[in-house]
Amino acid sequence: MADQTLDVKGLNCPLPILRAKKALKDVTMGGTLLVLATDPGSVKDFEAFCRATGNELIESTTEGNVFSFVIKRMS
Amino acid sequence: MAAVPLYILLCSGEHEKIHMAAMMASVGAVSERPVEVFVSMNAIMAFARQKPDTNRYRGGAFSDLMKQKNVSDSITLFRQGRELGDLKIWACSMALDVTGWDEDRLESDLFDGALGLTKFLSDAEGGQFITL
Repeated sequence: MADQTLDVKGLNCPLPILRAKKALKDVTMGGTLLVLATDPGSVKDFEAFCRATGNELIESTTEGNVFSFVIKRMS
Repeated sequence: MAAVPLYILLCSGEHEKIHMAAMMASVGAVSERPVEVFVSMNAIMAFARQKPDTNRYRGGAFSDLMKQKNVSDSITLFRQGRELGDLKIWACSMALDVTGWDEDRLESDLFDGALGLTKFLSDAEGGQFITL
């Protein structure tokens, strides 16, 4: 269970990443953010985003056309 | 290791190119990468203050599709990049001179000021440089 949830279903690139960056500011260090997206590019985008920002992508799953990411705030 | 800064020279007034610049600038900035954008030539026209959205962006078939699909506004993406990361946007001093515009004719709270090309190119040495 993540500490916070961000629903960006229906939003196109790059909005899911921008919204996630903003939402992570409200997550405590070491806390987690669950992101729900439908943009098919988001799987690779969130991998790259976490690698670039030093945050940890601890889970990436797909169910139907919904992609779920759990990000642990590390920076 | 620090990310290589990204420098975007935006000259085109085409909606598609302005939007790509906005996407690259905002994503770069939120990915902890310093980004600077130099707005010149026809591109400066799209940044006029309080220009109606209906005629701010001129483009081709893909521009029409973006408007139909309510794709995020380019100026809004630039603003979000500034809010969330290290993004600077400069107005080309030559473009301001040619248009006869002062900086207050540009979208408010978006630009860091006017700059000459020589300074922008000098700052961009060692960074990744993209022209649109």
